[in-house]
Amino acid sequence: MKNKMKRSHIIPFILLCLGAFTMIVPFAWMLSTALKEAKLVYQIPPQWIPSPIDWKNFTEIWSSSNLLIGFRNSIFITVVVIVCSTITSSMAAFAFAKMDFPGKGLYFIALLSTMMVPGVVLLIPQFMMYTKFSWIDTFFPLIVPAALGNVSMIFFLRQYMTGLSSELIDAAKMDGCSYPRIYAQIFMPLSGPAIAANTILLFMNTWNDYLGPALFTNSKNLQTVQVAISTLNSYYAEQTDVPVVMAASLVAILPVLFLFITCQKYFTESFAMTGIKG
Amino acid sequence: MLKKRKKRNDERIYGVLFIAPAMLQFLVFFLVPLGLCIYASFTNWNTLSAHKTFVGLKNYISLLQDDKFWKALMNTVYMLIPIPVYLILSMLFAMACNKKVPGNKVFRVIYYLPYISSIVALVIIWKWIFNPEFGLINSMLRSWFGMKGPNWLNDPVWTKRMIVIMISWKLIGITAIYYLAALKNIPNTYYEAARVDGASSFKQFIKITLPMLSPTTLYLSIVGIIGSLQTFLEVQLFTTDGGRGYGVATVIYYTWQRAFKFNQMGYACAVATLFSLLILIITGIQLKVSGKWVYEGE
Repeated sequence: MKNKMKRSHIIPFILLCLGAFTMIVPFAWMLSTALKEAKLVYQIPPQWIPSPIDWKNFTEIWSSSNLLIGFRNSIFITVVVIVCSTITSSMAAFAFAKMDFPGKGLYFIALLSTMMVPGVVLLIPQFMMYTKFSWIDTFFPLIVPAALGNVSMIFFLRQYMTGLSSELIDAAKMDGCSYPRIYAQIFMPLSGPAIAANTILLFMNTWNDYLGPALFTNSKNLQTVQVAISTLNSYYAEQTDVPVVMAASLVAILPVLFLFITCQKYFTESFAMTGIKG
Repeated sequence: MLKKRKKRNDERIYGVLFIAPAMLQFLVFFLVPLGLCIYASFTNWNTLSAHKTFVGLKNYISLLQDDKFWKALMNTVYMLIPIPVYLILSMLFAMACNKKVPGNKVFRVIYYLPYISSIVALVIIWKWIFNPEFGLINSMLRSWFGMKGPNWLNDPVWTKRMIVIMISWKLIGITAIYYLAALKNIPNTYYEAARVDGASSFKQFIKITLPMLSPTTLYLSIVGIIGSLQTFLEVQLFTTDGGRGYGVATVIYYTWQRAFKFNQMGYACAVATLFSLLILIITGIQLKVSGKWVYEGE
C-alpha cells in the first residue's frame, strides 16, 4: 500500500527524475571516462559502458601525480581548521548568546558586517599583508585566519544557543560552575547537532578551497588536493590522458561526498535553519 | 553583595575572553586589509617596486577610462542571468519534493551533488563534456540533430553561455533545499481554507505559496546577486586571459589580473573598492525595494 504512488504524484515524480538525471549525468560520464583506456576516450559516438573496464587509472593517479601529497596537506589543513574553528566559533557563539558584557551588540554587528564585503576583494590586501609577514608559501594564510572562527558558524550557533534555556546557567552557577565549564560541559554537548552540521559545511569549504592555496602557496610539496588536480589537469591537457584526470577529480570529491551522505540529516537541518533565519 | 559583584566581573572577563579569537580575526584579517585596500587604492603601489606614492584619484579615473573594465562590467552583468533560471526551477523542484513522492531522500542527495563538488572538479568535468570535438554535448547534437555543435571552449559568447548553464546547474539543488524548508513552514490550514473557498491550485499557488515564499526569495536573490557579481574562478579556469577579445572576463577577474599578473596592487585595490561599493549599493536598493513585494508576516 505504501509503495503505491498516488496519481497526483506522477507529474512531480517525473519532474524530479528529469532533474536528478541532469544532476547526475556529468558525474556518471566522469566515472565512465575514468574507467576507460586513454585511447578509447575519443570514440565517436561516445561509449557509456567502457569495455574493457580499466581500473588502473585509479592506481596510476597516486604515483603519477601530486595527489598523495595533496591529500596529506588537505587533510592536515582541514583537520586543524575544523578543530580550532569549531572551538573558537562556539565559544564566541556562547558568549554572544548567553553572557552579558559591555559592547556585546557592537562586536556582534562588526562580525556580521564582514559578510557584506566580497571575499575576493580582501584577498589582494591580505596578500600584501602576508608578504610582509613572510607567510607566502606557508600554510599560515590557510590556517590562522580560519582557525580564529567562522562568522556564519558563530551566527548560526548563537541562534541555536539562544534557544537553549538560561536556567541551566543559573543552576550550574549555584553549584559553583565557572563559565568555561558551563560552556564545555553543558552547552557544547547540547548544541551537538548544530555543531555537527556547521562542521561539515566548514569541512566542505576548506577541502574545496582553491583560490587561497593557489594564491598563497607555490611549492609543490605544499599543494592541496584542489591545486594538485588543477595542476594535473593543465599538465594532462597537453598529454591528453583524460581518464587519469577524471579519476583524480572523482577521488578528490569522494571525502566530502562520503561525509555528506553519512551525515545528511544534520546537513539538511543546517541549511533549512540558516536559510530561513539568515 | 561582594560575591555578586565578583560573579558579574567573571561574566565580563570571560565574555570578552570568549569572543577574543573572533574579534582578533575581525581586526587583523578583515579591518586591517579593508583599510589597507582603501588606502592602497589612492597610491601607485606596485609589487615590483618598493616606492609607493600618493596619486589621489588617478587609479579611479584611469580605470573608468579603461575599455577592458567596461567590457568586464558588462560580462559581470551577464552573469546575473542564471539567478531567475535557478530560482524558478528550484521552486518547481521543491514543490515536487514537498509532495512526499517516493525516493524523496535519494533525490535530495543527488541534487546536492553539484553543490558539494569543488569548482576545480566541476570545471574539469565541464571542459570534458563541452569539448567541441569529443564532448558529450556536441556528440549528442551531432547524432540526434545532425548539427555541428558550437565551440564552447574557445568562442567567448558560447563560453559565457556555458558558464551560465553551469552556475544554474550547480545552484538548483541547494536553492531547492532552501525553498523546501520554507514550504514546510507554510501552515496547512491556509490551503484548507482556500480549498473550502473553492480556490484552484493555480490560485492557491499565486495567493498563498508565492507570497509565503517571498522572504526566502528575497534572501536567495540577495545572496545570488552578490555571488554572481563575484564570478571569477570559472573565468580563470575556463579561459586564458579572459577569453578572446576579453569576451568572458568579469570585474573580479579584471581585478585579479591587475593585482597578480601585472602587479598593480594600487590599481587593483581601486577596482576592488569601487566594486564593493557598487555591490553594497545594489544590496541596499534591493532591501529598500523589498518592502513592496515581500510578505513579512502578521
